[in-house]
Amino acid sequence: MQTLAAMAAPLDGSEALSGLLEAARSGDLAAFEILMRRHERLVLATALRLLGRMEDAQDASQEVFLRLYRNLAKVAGTENLPGWLYRVTVNVCHDVRRRHPEVTLSGDLPEFVSTAADPQQAAAEHERRRALEMSLRLLSEKERAALVLRDLEGLPTEEVAAILGTSQATVRSQIFKARIKMRDFVERYFRRRV
Amino acid sequence: MNCPLWEERIALYAGGDLSGGDAALVRQHLAACPECAALAAELRGHLELFRIAHAEPIAEGHFTAVRARVLEKLAGEKRPWWRHKPACLAAAAAMMIAILIVARPHSPTMPQPRAQARTAPAPPAVPGLEAPPPVKPRRPHRLLASATGPTGPAAPVEPLVVKLVTDDPDVVIYWIADK
Repeated sequence: MQTLAAMAAPLDGSEALSGLLEAARSGDLAAFEILMRRHERLVLATALRLLGRMEDAQDASQEVFLRLYRNLAKVAGTENLPGWLYRVTVNVCHDVRRRHPEVTLSGDLPEFVSTAADPQQAAAEHERRRALEMSLRLLSEKERAALVLRDLEGLPTEEVAAILGTSQATVRSQIFKARIKMRDFVERYFRRRV
Repeated sequence: MNCPLWEERIALYAGGDLSGGDAALVRQHLAACPECAALAAELRGHLELFRIAHAEPIAEGHFTAVRARVLEKLAGEKRPWWRHKPACLAAAAAMMIAILIVARPHSPTMPQPRAQARTAPAPPAVPGLEAPPPVKPRRPHRLLASATGPTGPAAPVEPLVVKLVTDDPDVVIYWIADK
């Protein structure tokens, strides 16, 4: 019955979420799959930016959702499931990077689809994005996590600090350093190519 | 860059991380310093491009692969015993029934003597009276029979075996009882 209730529940609202969590907790895999579908982009996109490779990001996402399943009892009591998922994603990605520290600067960069109509402009945009992706790999783990959560996921500094278990002042400092490092890298990248 | 003291505030300003008063100070400085204005514009451009890249959809196949791997792993994992609620209840019920059957009080009969011993000598023939039919020796209880020793080739006693199949292929309940 819980499965049917979970399936019939609207996809928004904390009641629907708590229903899904409760159903999943009692072993309902269909309810858990709905939970995954609702949060998979958050987890995979964040992991992809933190790790840089889709293969690693998928491994990390798998681990995050397995941890979610094993901790459903704990998570059910919290209001902020996305916050919990961000925190676990960041931690899992740290673990993955420690296991595979051999990530190269330019290897396995994601494919870009340019929106520019002019081929020359599209090529320039492609190069900029490539440089930006590479610059992300130069950052320290903490700087990268702060930048991804704040600038790409658009979370407020306060929430980023809570997820990373640090102060807002530290997050600000990490974000500032990360932005400047990225800008410097992109500048050097194009100066070298010219 | 000529204004290193402004670098941090400009970097934060570019991402909208400064409060009203600080942001106003930076705006004033940018209006007066073309180099810092260029830095702010460059930082904003990078962030915007990066946000666009990050917002691009990820191919559905990547999500499907993750979901499939997770569900496969979860389905393969052994669930804790309390998750097998129906199976556990059925097992407990079957166990109770089996215990009740085995432990039910038997009729307080002494071990039956052997059939030959119980065969009473034929009563003296009374004219006009038919002899009663011979007493058919009762088959002793299986457990008692084994306790009293072999009594010759006993007829095979088939126990009643009930097999309860649960939803979980790992849990099959056998209920064995005497007929």
